[in-house]
Amino acid sequence: MIFEISKSGNPLFSKIHPVLADILRAVALDPWERYPDGSARLLPPPGDDEELRSDWEDHVQPELRHHFDSERGLVFADLEAMKQGRGKNAAWSLEIPFKHCDAWLITLNALRLALVSENCFSEQELAHMTSPDLGTERGLALMSVNFYAFVQECLIRAMDVTDGESATPVDPD
Amino acid sequence: MPGWMVVTSPASCWVPAPESQKVPGRKAHSWRLSVKPFMGEPGIFESPGTSLLEGLDQLWIVVVHNDPVNLMSYVSMVFRRVFGWSVQRAEKHMMEVHTKGRSVVWSGGREQAELYVQKLHGCLLLATLEKS
Repeated sequence: MIFEISKSGNPLFSKIHPVLADILRAVALDPWERYPDGSARLLPPPGDDEELRSDWEDHVQPELRHHFDSERGLVFADLEAMKQGRGKNAAWSLEIPFKHCDAWLITLNALRLALVSENCFSEQELAHMTSPDLGTERGLALMSVNFYAFVQECLIRAMDVTDGESATPVDPD
Repeated sequence: MPGWMVVTSPASCWVPAPESQKVPGRKAHSWRLSVKPFMGEPGIFESPGTSLLEGLDQLWIVVVHNDPVNLMSYVSMVFRRVFGWSVQRAEKHMMEVHTKGRSVVWSGGREQAELYVQKLHGCLLLATLEKS
């Protein structure tokens, strides 16, 4: 798999193995449906104050849920536009419109958080550099978490390059 | 000779926060104190359980907590986007979260603190607001 910036200035992943393409498509699935226990992490409480927590549940969390669903919708549309080369097991390519990078980062992060929480991965497992056992569901989940992290890092680098070219640092300190 | 009285209640003496400071769908936490002319004996009237300065000078802090799943580069980027910080300041707070488990990223009034926590939750960071 190769990551580069396309001529249009968009992040472009190419030579994506069909297996990885399937793992990528899973990004657009609803984590609340797939990982009901793990998804609790996606809407944490704002603090210990009971009134605030109640207010948050009633008004803020539905807005956040809608926000996450909207972002995932953009990711779904981009995944639908993935292109496959010629041949039965040809590699795929995915070009992500630059304006969708935030949506991808949030959707990828949400899925990673839900996967880790659902599988109760420890910090040691997350940091382990050896390959997980791909013969188990847990091993596949850990591999997915790491793969999605790689995609996130690529997108962040692409966004940082753009920010660095035009942004003026603001330091209220 | 009329004087002035400062009242904490009844509610008619309190003026709701202006629309620009309200968050849709949320209870208004901020109220402006109204000072009314008083024609009787001078004094300060207080209703039980209400402090004159409650909510007016209470500082709140926004705290970001560590989550090992969030990439350090992602946390740093979120800080730059949400708070408008420089790369250096964002990295400093990100490392504080990473090494100490938490970092106080903002302090001020409750309404703004709630808005920041909502934005941070929107980016899937673990954030809370606490009384300073």
